[in-house]
Amino acid sequence: MNFDLTEEQRLLVATVRRFIDEHLAPLEDQVDREGVLAPETARAIFKKSQALGLYATNIPTTFGGGGLNAFDTMLLEEQFGRTSDILIRRAFGNVYEVLLRCSASQVKRWLLPSVRGERTCSIAITEPGAGSDAASIKTRAVRDGDGWRLSGHKHYISDGLFSDFFVVSAVTDLAAGSRGISLFLVDKDSAGFTVGRDQPMMGLRGTSHIEMFFDGIRLEAENLLGEEGRGMRQVLETLGRVRLGQVGARAVGKAAKVLDLMVEHAREREQFGQPIGAFQLVQQMLADSAIEINAARLLLWQAAAEIDRSGDGRELISMVKVHAAETLGRVVDRAVQVFGGSGFSKDQPIERYYRDARIYRIFDGTSEIHRTVLGGALMKKGAALYDPAS
Amino acid sequence: MKVLVPVKRVIDYNVKVRVKADQTGVELANVKMSMNPFDEISIEEALRLREAGKAEEVIAVSIGVQQCQETIRTALAMGADRGIHVLHDGELEPLAVAKMLKAIADKEGPSLILVGKQAIDDDCNQTGQMLAALLGWGQATFISKLEVGDTELTATREVDGGLETLTLKLPAVLTTDLRLNEPRYASLPNIMKAKKKPIDQMSPADLGVDPSPRLETLRVVEPPKREAGVIVADVAELVEKLRNVAKVI
Repeated sequence: MNFDLTEEQRLLVATVRRFIDEHLAPLEDQVDREGVLAPETARAIFKKSQALGLYATNIPTTFGGGGLNAFDTMLLEEQFGRTSDILIRRAFGNVYEVLLRCSASQVKRWLLPSVRGERTCSIAITEPGAGSDAASIKTRAVRDGDGWRLSGHKHYISDGLFSDFFVVSAVTDLAAGSRGISLFLVDKDSAGFTVGRDQPMMGLRGTSHIEMFFDGIRLEAENLLGEEGRGMRQVLETLGRVRLGQVGARAVGKAAKVLDLMVEHAREREQFGQPIGAFQLVQQMLADSAIEINAARLLLWQAAAEIDRSGDGRELISMVKVHAAETLGRVVDRAVQVFGGSGFSKDQPIERYYRDARIYRIFDGTSEIHRTVLGGALMKKGAALYDPAS
Repeated sequence: MKVLVPVKRVIDYNVKVRVKADQTGVELANVKMSMNPFDEISIEEALRLREAGKAEEVIAVSIGVQQCQETIRTALAMGADRGIHVLHDGELEPLAVAKMLKAIADKEGPSLILVGKQAIDDDCNQTGQMLAALLGWGQATFISKLEVGDTELTATREVDGGLETLTLKLPAVLTTDLRLNEPRYASLPNIMKAKKKPIDQMSPADLGVDPSPRLETLRVVEPPKREAGVIVADVAELVEKLRNVAKVI
């Protein structure tokens, strides 16, 4: 088995790494402090990234994207994890693959402008009463002629302030349970669309997380994304890859970045006349972090290769989601310890990484949900989930 | 016109170089290797000439081990049109490299050869000059600005105390300095295209050159560790130490 990256993959990673170091890293502290990325700065980093073909790399070239497979996408996502959420969104685009379900006419209106960076989409599924239990949403779309009327309330919608349209989940058939949910493309400027509060968060500062209210928004037939009643399935199918990239791979990248800082600090910080990295208790924290990061990355690569091979890898994705997110949690916790007082201080970035890391165990399915899914899958499929000889 | 750009695979500029335990050279195993930064500047300048319509083709040449193809691939991903790889596993000295580049130039007929002013591994700063002499072409070294016309070029070079401007007839050999340009990133579309660009492989024998070294490396040692300074009380003590300890006055 060969774990070496190809020359092209190495070049891709090097280009993205250099772009992040030169253009994004210098913005991170200010964005975190002020909680906002200035629109002209956002525009500037988008332009630079687009010129290098780094915007919407996950979308097929037929739609103007970069056409990367799942594996190469994960290589880039890992690098993205080294910088802040909002900077990733503006520089590289979060063009959700669920938009690939757009019909020919929808492609022109929603997908292509998103790939070109002219429009921005967010996913609006979460509601106050429907988090992990995404099927228990209250938002409803009621038939109205050949279209629908959309009413309801979403919250914690990431990047909602900047986005100009949303993929919204809504109940279209009350009696059908999870099979009665459909997805709609909803423009923010629709009549009856109200943007609520930007809900402040522990981390990911600079990215908005908003409430939104739908008051009888008129939707045309063209607003339906994919098939009526198959919304949950469509979300689950495409969010797997998003989850692997935006949570799994980015957690690995962020943990690796934090470990870089820890090692550097352990070399430079001197106490009792020697670098603190000479102390074995500090070395243990570094060693454990390196072990866990490499293990998480190999699991990530396995899941990505599985997606490219079979188109599915849901159990592996769940494993990556849990392991990478929890690895990141442990690594940032150790980082605060290695940095000591300066890890707790807002004058150093470790405190920011610590806050930004916590959500990884929660969003895109909590660790508990994914463990439950895995437990259920193990009961059904047994050793196929962990034994190549089975 | 064609532009030929030699690209050397060297230890990455970020790596802390270590001397091998047996003192025969520096440690290359598991060390990150990259394109010599001055060669990146040469590639960038060649690409700019092509984009300005002054050049039609940019050819990247690398001489050395099989992995030099990665360095060529980097040049192709930046935008060079094709690559030439002269495979050679042993040690290489500037004269042998210059002879092989001459043979390639004789074959390819470039109007311009852009050579990095030096490689950051051995810091020789000889290949470009030797190549120009072997070819009998004009040369301008350490250039920080370049304007290319139809039959001649104007190059600005950094010299002690200022800038010198030279006019050269084409064909010519130029060696590039840091301030000539800022090399571009390899863009995603170009990285994907690089895969399909051809790299010709040949041997020193194909070029009629014997690359055997003329020099023998006796041993390689780490530079002496810097010792801590001392604080002197007054000028008299300083002068005394300069005279009797440092023995410089």
